[in-house]
Amino acid sequence: MTGGRPLGLVLLEMTLLVLLGPLVTGTIQKLKARLQCRQGAGVLQPYRDLAKLLRKSTVQADTASGFFRSIPVLVLAATIAAGALVPVVRAGPPAFPLGDALMLLGLLALARFLAAVGALDAGGAFGGMGASREMTVAPLVEPVLMMVVFSTAAAAGTTELGTLAAHRGTSWILAWRAADLLGFAAMLVLLPAETGRIPVDNPDTHLELTMLHEGMLLEHSGPGLGCMVLASHTRQIVTLGFVAALFFPVGLADGASAIGLLLGAGAFAAKVLALATYLGLVESSYGKLRFFRLPQYLAIGFVCALAALALRIL
Amino acid sequence: MSAAETVHTIIDDLGALLLFTMILIVIASQISRAIYAVAAQSLFIAIAGGVLAMFTGNVDLWVIAGVTLAVKAIMLPWVLHWVVRRMNVRREVEPVIPDAATIVLAVAVVVMSFDLSTSLGTVRQAITGNALPVGIALTVLGVLVMATRKTALTQMVGLFASENGIFFTAMAVTQGMPLIIEIGVSLDVILAALVMTILVLRVRSTVDADIADLDRLRG
Repeated sequence: MTGGRPLGLVLLEMTLLVLLGPLVTGTIQKLKARLQCRQGAGVLQPYRDLAKLLRKSTVQADTASGFFRSIPVLVLAATIAAGALVPVVRAGPPAFPLGDALMLLGLLALARFLAAVGALDAGGAFGGMGASREMTVAPLVEPVLMMVVFSTAAAAGTTELGTLAAHRGTSWILAWRAADLLGFAAMLVLLPAETGRIPVDNPDTHLELTMLHEGMLLEHSGPGLGCMVLASHTRQIVTLGFVAALFFPVGLADGASAIGLLLGAGAFAAKVLALATYLGLVESSYGKLRFFRLPQYLAIGFVCALAALALRIL
Repeated sequence: MSAAETVHTIIDDLGALLLFTMILIVIASQISRAIYAVAAQSLFIAIAGGVLAMFTGNVDLWVIAGVTLAVKAIMLPWVLHWVVRRMNVRREVEPVIPDAATIVLAVAVVVMSFDLSTSLGTVRQAITGNALPVGIALTVLGVLVMATRKTALTQMVGLFASENGIFFTAMAVTQGMPLIIEIGVSLDVILAALVMTILVLRVRSTVDADIADLDRLRG
């Protein structure tokens, strides 16, 4: 591996993630609509929603403090910063100190925390409910994600995602060891939780008590809500890119050649599309779990991740 | 990569899948899901048998893999599904201790079985990949399922999972036991399944109770 990813490339990848985030959501929604025998909105609908939200004016609760207004921007910033850590088109470490997979998870956790604080600050009952539930699920998901990271990092000797991807190399399916299989299984279990989808959360509604993430958005409006929605789109694609970098970094370019980078971008699109299809299928074929059943569901991921670690270390 | 290494890798990967199905069995809240998981587990064991047969050139292993596929991956799940339909139950799991405690115990079992087999050192070198710890974990987890569930059907699933663990260990350790023993084991399993099925249906039809209720002996 010669050199690293220059700053320009990292910024480009980050921008790409933010721009493509809504498209992934649109694709999943279209897929779900087709599976329900509906025509469904076009895949570009999330962009239209965002544009509409950004044009509207803001209404704010009387009880909210000044901090509430800055919450959407902070959440979006933390999520986008996490996006900078995902290698999209090219493997290898960044050319400058940036952060590793744990940093990524930390930034996503920070975004989650800020969203919960905002929901509590507004003083609405639903916001508090959503925040409480989100904060109940988060500690069940994040440590397990870290364990999955550790189980792959133990082989590569680093937690930097670009280096991890480079270490796994392009012959990924042959290089998959038993621990990777279990780690990937844990990841598939946790993916709906981390992206806020059925069976953990329901992204389509904020009117029932099934809500986690949507409940926290209720008090936001106008451009603020637009930022929050964009942040959740970005969070989703960042998580998918994170899984892709951890488990199948195939097609990532080694050098800086234009063809390699294009190939890497194409491979990334294919991988994200595959994972998005998985999410859409799961969401269409399962029901939302009762909230108190969630720990049991997430425990599948925990045990798998632990067994992966055991396989790797012992 | 040499042939032996490839086989090691494949058996390792299959072991991981076996552990995954076992975790699904331990956590399953619906009996039919547990049955599907145990069927998948048997299928993976049959595949492992096929891989070992291809590697060692042992014809007996082909037969064993075939018998495993037919009996454990197809016939037994079918029988279990039939009993479930016959008894008209869906959520027949009913744990004795809370699910969380079962999960904690399962984690402890997995970690301990890996820890135990590292201490075996030289013995482990002779065995294909991670087959020994995975086999031990499967066996003990099967017993755990049997011990923590009240209803007979789930206990049957646990027994089959446990048997799968023993079978997998034996296959990987010995690279194929004598055919007659394997066939005997398979017949045992079929008989056990039949006896248990009849018992479960009989108990249900005569006293309308499950095994957990039969805790007192009357003269």
